[in-house]
Parts: sequence; C-alpha cells; structure tokens
Amino acid sequence: MKIQPPSPDMKKRSFLKKVLNGTIAGSLYLVFPMGSDGLEGQFPKNQMPPEQIPGIRDHAYDILDQEFAFIVDITRCIGCGSCCVADKREYNVPDGNYRTWVERYVKGFSDQVYVDAPNGGLDGYQNPRSDIQEEVRDTFFVPKLCNMCREAPCVQVCPVGATFTSPDGFVLVDDKRCVGCAYCIQACPYSVRYLHPVSRVVDKCTWCYHRVRKGLLPACVDVCPTSARKFGSMKDKESEVYKILKGPGVLTVLKKEMGTWPALYYKGARREVV
Amino acid sequence: MNPIMMLASKASESIGASTMLVSNYVFPNDLHVHWSMMIVLYPYITGLVDGAFIIAALYYLFRVESLKPVARFSLLFALAFLSCATLPLLLHLGRPERNFNMLLTPSPSSAMAGFGYIFAVSMGVLVFIILFVYRPVLVELRKTSKGPLQFIYRTITFDSTDLSPAAMALDEKIIKFLVGIGIPIAAVLHGYVGFIFGGVKANPTWSTPLMPVIFLFSACVSGISAVILAYILIRRFKGRPVDHGCIVTMVKTLTLFFILAFSFEMLEVFSHTYLKTGYHHMVEGLLNGPLAASFWLWQVKICSVIPLLLLGVMGLMKLKASVYNLLAAVVSAILLLQVIIMRWNVVIGGQLMSKSARGYTEFHPEWFDKEGILAVIVVMSIPFIILWGLSRIFPFWAGENKT
Amino acid sequence: MGLSYKMRLVILALGICIMAGSGLLLKGLLVPDSFGVYGPYRADAIAENTELPIRHGTNSSCYACHTYEAKVHKTGLHSTISCEFCHGPWADHTDGKKKIGTLPVKTNQDITTLCLRCHNTEIKARSQQVIKTVAMPGHLESQKVKLTHNCNQCHHVHAPLKYIKRARQITGLTEEKI
Repeated sequence: MKIQPPSPDMKKRSFLKKVLNGTIAGSLYLVFPMGSDGLEGQFPKNQMPPEQIPGIRDHAYDILDQEFAFIVDITRCIGCGSCCVADKREYNVPDGNYRTWVERYVKGFSDQVYVDAPNGGLDGYQNPRSDIQEEVRDTFFVPKLCNMCREAPCVQVCPVGATFTSPDGFVLVDDKRCVGCAYCIQACPYSVRYLHPVSRVVDKCTWCYHRVRKGLLPACVDVCPTSARKFGSMKDKESEVYKILKGPGVLTVLKKEMGTWPALYYKGARREVV
Repeated sequence: MNPIMMLASKASESIGASTMLVSNYVFPNDLHVHWSMMIVLYPYITGLVDGAFIIAALYYLFRVESLKPVARFSLLFALAFLSCATLPLLLHLGRPERNFNMLLTPSPSSAMAGFGYIFAVSMGVLVFIILFVYRPVLVELRKTSKGPLQFIYRTITFDSTDLSPAAMALDEKIIKFLVGIGIPIAAVLHGYVGFIFGGVKANPTWSTPLMPVIFLFSACVSGISAVILAYILIRRFKGRPVDHGCIVTMVKTLTLFFILAFSFEMLEVFSHTYLKTGYHHMVEGLLNGPLAASFWLWQVKICSVIPLLLLGVMGLMKLKASVYNLLAAVVSAILLLQVIIMRWNVVIGGQLMSKSARGYTEFHPEWFDKEGILAVIVVMSIPFIILWGLSRIFPFWAGENKT
Repeated sequence: MGLSYKMRLVILALGICIMAGSGLLLKGLLVPDSFGVYGPYRADAIAENTELPIRHGTNSSCYACHTYEAKVHKTGLHSTISCEFCHGPWADHTDGKKKIGTLPVKTNQDITTLCLRCHNTEIKARSQQVIKTVAMPGHLESQKVKLTHNCNQCHHVHAPLKYIKRARQITGLTEEKI
C-alpha cells in the first residue's frame, strides 16, 4: 500500500521539467510566495489578520514539501458549535448541508450509545437529551470534518479527476470539472461530502485551504474557544500539532478499518466514536 | 422510542451486542439519498440490453437454431434500450452538460471512468451486428422502397447490393466476430455496473465481490424475460403464431440464469448473516427494517419463490403449448418486476444505511423531480418508441419481411 | 460506383479508425492545460481553491477599529472567544474600505441563551477543567438576584468577571464562590 508519496526529489525534478517545458506556466505561482498578497486586496493594512501558521507568508511555498495536521481534542470540546457557525458563514453553506458538524455522544451503563447532532450542532446544545431512560455513564462531543485521507476513496472513485489530493495533502474539489455524479459522496466513509444545491457540484470541507495558503488557521480552528480543534504545519517544530504528534499521547483516527489513513487525528476519542 | 430503535433493541435481545450500536443517528449529510430512481433505472436498462443480447448471441454464435424467431428482434430490443442507457445518467448528473469530461479526462483509478468508452464500444458493436445481420433483408427492402427511406437503406447497406455467396460468407464471419467480442463487452458493460457498487467500501451492503456477478445474472434474467414477454405480446397483438420451441428454449435459459441470480442474491445475504462482520448489524437491521417489505416480501417471496415454482412446473410437467406460453409470459412479467425491485433494494436500500452505522434514513420518491416518478415513466417509454421506430426500418421477424 | 463489397467494408473500417483517431486527437486538444501536472487532475484547481474570499478576519481585524471592546475583550476570561462567532463574520461588516453592514448585537434573553450555549451545567459533556458551567436558575438563587436577571446584568459579556472583580475591590469583600 502506498502511504508515502514518491520522494519529493523525484516529484520536484519532474515538476521542474514541466515548468521548463512551459506546460504549467499558469500554475507557476503555486510555488512562489503567495504571502499576504491575497489578503492585501481584501483587508486594509491595519485590519490584516496576523499570520497564524508560521512559515507561510513571505516564504516560497513549496507545494511538494508541505505537511499539515489537524487534531481534534474531544476532551476539550464543549459543544458550543462556534466551529459549525463559522464554517457555515465562511462558505455560505446552504441549509441542510454540512462541511463540519458536532455530534453529542451519550453512553449508558448498558453500553447503549445514543448519538445526536440536531442541525449539525449549528444551534449549539442547549438542553440535555430527555429520551434516555438509563443512567448515563459517559458523555462527550465529537466534532466532525474532512479526514483528509492519504488513501482517499473519494479521490479514487472520481471519474473525471475533479476531486484530488493536492501535493500538500489537501483533498480538494475542482468545481469547474465536477459533473455532480455523487460517486464520491457514496465512497466517503465519513459522509463529509454533499452536492451543493446551487452550483450542483460536490462540496466538502477543505480545512480552509484558501486561509491556510495565506497563513491563516481554518475558520473553525480560529473560532474554537477551547482549542479543541488544532491545526498546524508539521514543518513547524514549534507548532502544537507537531508537539502532540511527536509526543506519547494516544491519538486515533476514525474508521481505521477502512484503510483510508486519515490526516485528521482525534485525541480522547472513545471506541464508540464512528 | 421510534420504530427503528424498538427494532434495534428487540434484535439486540436475540443476537447480542452487535446491534446495540443502532440508536437511529444518521450523519447530517446522509439524510438525503443521492442516488435515486435514475440510478435504479440505469442498471435495469443495461441489464435488459445484456439479457437480450445473450439470446441473440446464443443464436448467432452458438447456433441454437430454435432461437431463430427472436434472434433479430432481441438485437433490435437491445439497441432500443442501449440507446437510452445514458439518459437516466444524464438526468441524474448535477451538471449533465459536463458529461463529456468522462471521456476527456477519465481518471485511471475510478471504476466509473470507463463507462463512456465501454458504452461507445458496445453501441458500435451492436449497431454493426444489426447492420450485417439484416443486410440481405435491407438489400431487398432497398429495391422496393423509395424516397428518404431508400436513402436510409442505401446508407445502412453501405450502398452495396452484393448478396453473392462470397459476400454472404464474409458477412457470416464478420457477424461471428462481432458477436464474439460482443459477449465480453456486454458482460463488461453490466458486470462493471455491478462493480461500481461493489467497489464502494464505505457501504456494507454494496462492497462485495459478488455484486458484479449478481448484477450480471440478474441482467440476463431481466433481458431474457423482456424478450419472452415482448415476443409473446407483439405476436398475440398482431394475431400471428408464437413459436413454441423458441419459447421453451428461452424459458430454459431463463431458468438457468434465474437460479444462478437468485442463489447469488441469497448467498450474499447469507454470508452477511453468517460472517457477522462489524457492520452486520446495519445490514440485518436494513433488511428487517426499512427493506422488510421490498426485500423479503416482494423481491424474495413474491417475485422469486413464485417464479421458481412456476419455472419448476414448466420444466418438469407436460403442459399444453398454450398454457406453457401463458405461464412463460406470467413468469417473465414477475421476473421483470423482481429485477427492478432488486435494483431498488440494492441502490436505494443500500443508501438508507447511514455511514454512522447507527441509523437509517428514508427515501420518498417525488413526482415531478428530474429524477422523479414522471421522469422514470418517460425514460422507460422512450426505448419502446425507439423500438417502434426501428421496426419501421428493420422488420422484426425472420421470414415475414416479404409481405 | 463499381466498388466491390469487400472494398466498401475496408473503407468503412478505415472510416471508423479515422473517426476514433480524430476523437482521440480532439480529446487531446480539449484536456485542460494543467491536467496531469501533479496527477490526474487539473493543477490550476489548486490555485483556484486558494482564491476563495476570506470571510472571517480573526479578532485582530475587529480590534483595529473597535479599540474599547478590544481592550476589554483581550484582558478578560473570554479572550479566546471569537468576536465573529457572536457578531457575525468580518466580511458581512466591511469590504475593507467602508462599512457595508451592521452586525447584530445580542440583547436581553438572547444573551442568556447565548451564554448557556457553553455554560449550561445540564450538558454533562463539558469538562470543568475546560469551562466553568452554571445551573439555571440555581445560580441566580445562590447569588440572591432576581430570577428574571439576564447574565449581562452582572457579567460583562466580553470579560465576565470585570464588574465582579471591581465590586470586590470596592467593597473589599472576598468571596470564594461566585
């Protein structure tokens, strides 16, 4: 099974060859600093959001030499739904579709697990569940988003190459080529994809790729009040995600048996979490 | 407690811990069934094509002489349906105008990407089989027709009236070759549709290597049934005799394929039940819950067991030809229903399970949606209109073209 | 035309081959330029994915103009809360040059609802190490205030203990339990 991408050197060489051949003139800016250029047109200087992911702005962004990680700390999630709200607003996600959502797990002493996510957690969790008859043993919130699988089933099944894993590890959608067949929706074991009712192409969580490339954290990570959602570059040895992944703590991924090798890790996830 | 939870807790009493996880939680994006009735129709239509083609292949390649009366008709029947096979897909696509992307940039890793090419090749092969099979007839018709019809006949006979023994021998070879490659292509066209489902590991009822096999055999069942039924109905309607020997051969072939199809369908359920893998509780809950009526009652009891009994009676007892033909028509009609219910249970049923492995969503067909009931009726009637159009150019029945 | 039947079929076969060939040629022409640079997809789509407008500007964008709120918010226990979560995204408020919309400010009962979204003890899934939760109306009773009080009558929404700390300073009272 291919987990590691081919050596970066190899890729770089063939990439350079293609640049020299002029086949990807249009994509040249992928490797050169995007910096805060993309932000300057949008934000006045004094309102410019500060760089949240060190090493992105004003550096050459070598797309072939990047690695990012997302960690969800279940023990810190309070189910406020800030992330869901921010996500919906950042992308104007249509009602009834979810790029991210927060589930509430309640586990009884009989081992029965009760899960709900009314409106995907957008309205927060104001009231406890009233339909559980037995004594509650354990209860917690689980935020869900794209797992950015290294062996992504959605990428495998897309018939037209409209869903792909970018060289920096993001599973993205090419909304200009997607035909809206929904095969990727069937293939995703985590159900993070939906067909956008207006554009009629598939849409999904991108870990806010447009923000990350400008040195900003994903919207959900930025608004999380308890830092239950953590995001960072593995190239930055000072980043929290690097330290957590380097440390001895137990991290799990969802549906390991699917062989999807997610880049989204969970800290404190009980075995009942699906 | 809602019915599904009651069901789950009831089931958990009997079979233990595996069902304890069902608490009717559906992932928020799973509430909507993305592949609906059009994706039920698509394998149904390609299945009809496959089955009809098998009948033709038995005659043209394996020289099963008793099938001669329907051989040409089944080719035209296959063509009429094959020309509509992409229609449900186009109606289903979110961006149908981009359908050519499938041909332009087919992803080498995707099971679905090959569809455009496989479809194009099978269409081409089928059209040329028909043209060569019909050539002697068409040459005759060219002589008697005039105006635009004559132009059509000139074009589809390659503007040649050569019916010399040498030319006919050449035609014979070409037909054998085309039908020879047509069988694997037809098998690929449909087995591959099964693999589109079988290759989805996220869905526990779909991801089984049996899926292409089940699809292929049920395709043969539906296609042969359709040819039997259409042959009997059209002949009756036109007041012409029905060839009993031909019906017998078709029913025997049908029996064989149906036993295979039904055995594999049941084998799949049996292995799920016996293996009790991680997601077994979802499959079991699905078949006994939301699909209890459409699977156990309709697909298995009414539409499989009854035809099996009838086929047994027809195979083992001596029946009058008229009774036999009537039973053949009845069995074919039930089996046509069986296959479409089976497609429904696989395609839509499979999607009722949320990937949360904790609950089931619901599917409510709409009338006026582009994938709604009305669209289904329209899509299913177009092949018959095409078939009627084809009958204007290609006379259906052998030996009766010279009126 | 005196072509033999065989010859016609050869021409037909050639015709099919030419059609298939030109189809492949056309396919080559219609495949987008950047397709296949990194893999079987359009590499330009990566750049297009970065071009989406950023709608959340982080707290510091808000602080640039709202200096009073910034001062209060930054020093209080709510400093980790995003301005944009309660008030709405930056992009709904300004286009970077001028104000384009007024963001909502919650009042009265809506404030209590908003507070309880996080601080409700009834929801057991909240670790006390992460957040301080209260039970209603028990908290109002124990603090000996009217049950109709909204949270913001004692707590500054941006810095919840601001008034309470000041009250303690003025009165000199120390209270372990809030």
